[in-house]
Amino acid sequence: MWSYEKRLQFPVHITKTCPKTASLIISQFGGPDGELAASMRYLSQRYTMPCKEVSGLLTDIGTEELAHLEMICAIIYQLTKNMKVEEAKACGFDAYYVDHTSALWPTAAAGVPFNACEFQSKGDAITDLMEDLAAEQKARTTYDNLIRIIDDGEVRAPLKFLRAREIVHFQRFGEAMEKIKEKLDEKNFYYFNMEFDKQFVKG
Amino acid sequence: MDDRNTLLKEIGEVSFFLDDLRLYLDTHPLEEKAMDLYQQHHQKRMELLKSYADKFEPLTCHCIDLASNNSPDSDTRYAGRKHWTWSDGPIPWDTAANACHTAGILKGGA
Repeated sequence: MWSYEKRLQFPVHITKTCPKTASLIISQFGGPDGELAASMRYLSQRYTMPCKEVSGLLTDIGTEELAHLEMICAIIYQLTKNMKVEEAKACGFDAYYVDHTSALWPTAAAGVPFNACEFQSKGDAITDLMEDLAAEQKARTTYDNLIRIIDDGEVRAPLKFLRAREIVHFQRFGEAMEKIKEKLDEKNFYYFNMEFDKQFVKG
Repeated sequence: MDDRNTLLKEIGEVSFFLDDLRLYLDTHPLEEKAMDLYQQHHQKRMELLKSYADKFEPLTCHCIDLASNNSPDSDTRYAGRKHWTWSDGPIPWDTAANACHTAGILKGGA
């Protein structure tokens, strides 16, 4: 169960229309390392996560990613809501415009639609947490690249906030991995899959 | 900065503090200092949300109070009349809802 709060986690206030910038940032909505994939990754993995504290962390981070998805969408919305057709054509946003006008639709910057294959829900705690740690770093790199390309301070401010959150989530997932290891065979972490071979899990 | 924006900024700050601390406590469930901070800031957030709902409109469904927000100054087409207040106020993804905090944040050098 979720309930909505009518505010963004961090303010997005962009006054200059720029469909070009929107066409790059949209990758963090529907791209391979975007916020939609992040949220769905954690919220899918949590059901079989054998450690209650870790499944709780997945719920809380997965929920925060929904707030990040909303911020990314707000950035794209504000960058494109007043765009003219000529502006869309001049920067190559016209192909998106033909299919979606100025609506939000999850896609990668290179035009590949959002795909659930972008994330794994593998059913092995070590594997899934490693995926989560890597995902946070991949998203951090994407934000690094966006911040290098984009000059507008009004766009950079929320991107910097989001980048910092990737680093915090990485830290928390690292701590979650340590908790998982405590429940495994200390001589061989791969002796059993704790999400399946439940009889071996330490209490 | 008007009263609405000042309150929104305070709510945004205290809520983020709690968002971050919640994740920390998920992996450090016995840290007393963090729990004390959580309690204090949670209380502060509840007070601010109530104060905002009383003066303007509810930000969460828990803050909906149909006896309030019916003043002639409400940000709604039904100002001055008893009405469903959940859709009052600016839309979160519009610049109008975010005008408040940005100036202060950008000062930090974006």
